[in-house]
Amino acid sequence: MKNPLKKIFDDTKPFFTGDGKYKKYEPIWDATKTFFFLPSQKNSFMPFVRDHLDLKRYMSIVVLSLLPVTFFGIYNTGYQAGIGAGESWPVTQCFLVGACYVLPIIIVSYAVGFAWEFLFAVIRGHNISEGFLVTGLLFPLTLPPTIPLWQVALGISFGVIIGKEVFGGTGRNILNPALTGRAFLFFSYPVSMSGDVWVAGKHLVDGVTGATALSVTGAGGQSITAALGDAGYSLGQLFTGFVPGSVGETSALCCLFGAAILMVTRIANYRVIIGGIAGLVITSVIVYLIPGGQESWSNAGPLYHLCAGGFLFGISFMATDPVSAPGTNPGRWIFGAAIGFLTVIIRVGNPAFMEGVMLAILFMNVFAPLLDHLVLKYKSSKRIPNV
Amino acid sequence: MKILKISRGFDLNVAEQPDLNCAQLALPSSLGCCAGDIPHIRPKLLVKEGQRVKTGDALFTDKRDTTIQYVSPGTGQVEKVIYGHRRRLMEVVIATESEDEYVEYDPVDLDGIIDMPRDALVTVLKKGGLWQGLRQFPALDFADPDHSPALIIVVMDGNDIFSPRPGIILKDNITAFEAGMAVLRRFSNRLAVVCRKSSLEGIREQSSSVADQITHAAPDIYPAWLPGAVLYQIKQQAAENSTWYIRLDHLVMMGRFLLSGRYPVEKIVTITRPGEQHPHMRVRQGMPLSALIGAMPGNSIVTTGRFNGRVLEKDAHIGFFENTVNIIETGPEEEMFGFARPGLDKPTLSSTFLSSLFRRPANMDCTLHGETRACINCSYCERICPNDLMPSFIMKALHAGELEDALALGLMDCCRCGLCSFACPSKIELTRILSDAMDAYYKDKQ
Repeated sequence: MKNPLKKIFDDTKPFFTGDGKYKKYEPIWDATKTFFFLPSQKNSFMPFVRDHLDLKRYMSIVVLSLLPVTFFGIYNTGYQAGIGAGESWPVTQCFLVGACYVLPIIIVSYAVGFAWEFLFAVIRGHNISEGFLVTGLLFPLTLPPTIPLWQVALGISFGVIIGKEVFGGTGRNILNPALTGRAFLFFSYPVSMSGDVWVAGKHLVDGVTGATALSVTGAGGQSITAALGDAGYSLGQLFTGFVPGSVGETSALCCLFGAAILMVTRIANYRVIIGGIAGLVITSVIVYLIPGGQESWSNAGPLYHLCAGGFLFGISFMATDPVSAPGTNPGRWIFGAAIGFLTVIIRVGNPAFMEGVMLAILFMNVFAPLLDHLVLKYKSSKRIPNV
Repeated sequence: MKILKISRGFDLNVAEQPDLNCAQLALPSSLGCCAGDIPHIRPKLLVKEGQRVKTGDALFTDKRDTTIQYVSPGTGQVEKVIYGHRRRLMEVVIATESEDEYVEYDPVDLDGIIDMPRDALVTVLKKGGLWQGLRQFPALDFADPDHSPALIIVVMDGNDIFSPRPGIILKDNITAFEAGMAVLRRFSNRLAVVCRKSSLEGIREQSSSVADQITHAAPDIYPAWLPGAVLYQIKQQAAENSTWYIRLDHLVMMGRFLLSGRYPVEKIVTITRPGEQHPHMRVRQGMPLSALIGAMPGNSIVTTGRFNGRVLEKDAHIGFFENTVNIIETGPEEEMFGFARPGLDKPTLSSTFLSSLFRRPANMDCTLHGETRACINCSYCERICPNDLMPSFIMKALHAGELEDALALGLMDCCRCGLCSFACPSKIELTRILSDAMDAYYKDKQ
């Protein structure tokens, strides 16, 4: 028996292809159809056998690796709202309340982003690229749960158009589109993106600040670790993620889990992640060893730097975006290490932008082509010329 | 013997290994001389339809060097001449007679080959239709006899994973092999004889003296034994870029031709088909496909190599350079939620399917498994390229019109193994792009 879904696509095919009435909208029809039915045409040029991995699966694995972070983010948003309300909510309530805040952000991000994606595909006559499945989920995970939805729409629009489409679409962008969108919101609407915005709901309890761990500093000679402990940011909490922060970044554990999926499946390049963590650890140890600055983040040590803020989220999911990262292996090591280095330097040296990862990654995105160029030049010089 | 090392390549199990027996096939009613599988040739027809030819008579030649002849593999009438796109000569088909009549040359013995003037040797090989078995890097055109190559590579194994085993080709042909080697020694004083590790045993069984002449063993990772990959492993200086190479079956043919004075018409062919094991087959040059495989399964294509080769039409004849026939089935054309399946039976280089947990023979079909997308810089092509190229960067340089950059990145070192296209998740035809660019550059330089 013929698959009924298949029948629908077969029946509507004449309208969208060839001389059909809605030929213009073929990319939309095609994207829907290929989502359900993976096309697989016969090869006519060598090699005649091909690997089964395609871009749809490639991007699906990234979405899969983001699920732990997403679910924990939803739970934690509810959990923090509960603390803010001064009550201790059961797990289901945490989830439900969290979902009420987070799901609308994700839905708006996908809806608005896909609208732009479709529009550009229709104008250009291109197929729709699966890359947006990832961008559309990454972007909301970098935002505070209190963000107004119109800002989400504006941010993802900026990310998709200026971060990607103006360069020619997926595969040609120099910056990570999700981070471009976040950077736009960060600088355009700083009130929504900093200060006491990281806890959703009404704050009924005094002392619950709703600021992230990164904004904590020791006052009056108190060391930074003691100050963090006083504020409720112990290392254990920072690692598991039961702290205020943007939706996806708080749990180092879930980020590491996602990073493991990406590295094991070889979707993300491990060099970026390992290089990044190494860069951060080495730099933070060096900064730690420099005397003075007891009360600032320079004295926090590598573990706090790893677990606080969005570093692990950024290095696992943002920096590993293959398009905006370097395409050569030595380039990837340097790229990752430089992000780790810059993250610490920005956190320590520039308290105005405590969250250094976003700027570090965007900054290194710009330098990725230069890294590639240098590596290629070096590699070419090692080859026996064949001209 | 040196062991070549290769860190990258295709190392999956594949089912369909051919049987090591050898079956003799009868003379078919038609034989073809193909021009479709000869790189760079500009064929010029020398016969007319209806004309009777003897075995070894020239059928067509190459306009670029008319002394190189492509000869008839059988005796009989020229049945038809098949033209392809833009009236390019594709095949000359001979209706065979049961009795062979040969064009006779003076037989030469081993000492005779050593004493023969080099020019005379080249002339007789060109006329006999065997010179074109010697190919010259980097474009794999026929060898230029005026050039003294720094190195000649003899490859014992063919272009495919399941090409005929050298042990079977060598059977009863040891003296022909020695004669062929004597010819090669006339052109270069450095020969590299390369063999797959798994073929060594079979060669040793035939003759330990041949096995002793093997200088390099290649691991059983495709394409470690392909001449382009071998050259990249062993070359030390730019002078070796224009190395020659010859395949074992052509070398043996050369030897047999010189020793007997007749065009050698036999060749060994393997056929691989899913779920079946066929023996090696001893057949005539130019055998029609229909006589080799019988009825062709409906949903499949026939190729002369899984990773490199061409698609054969139903009524095609096997070419001079082809000795492997792959029948590859078409997979499901559209798979529901194909991208989200666990994939126990889906061979892949990534670890995104469950099949990567188990090492079992992979069933490979001839479909694309996805749609073409933009390059996302994932480096899967670089990870698998045996010659340390970065195909994605070369492709981008070519698209930007930066030929110099592409050449500096090693474009001409590409061995056309097809693995970059195989691995690309964006389904970009990298092999085609690189291969076309190499040919265009070579043509431009001539």
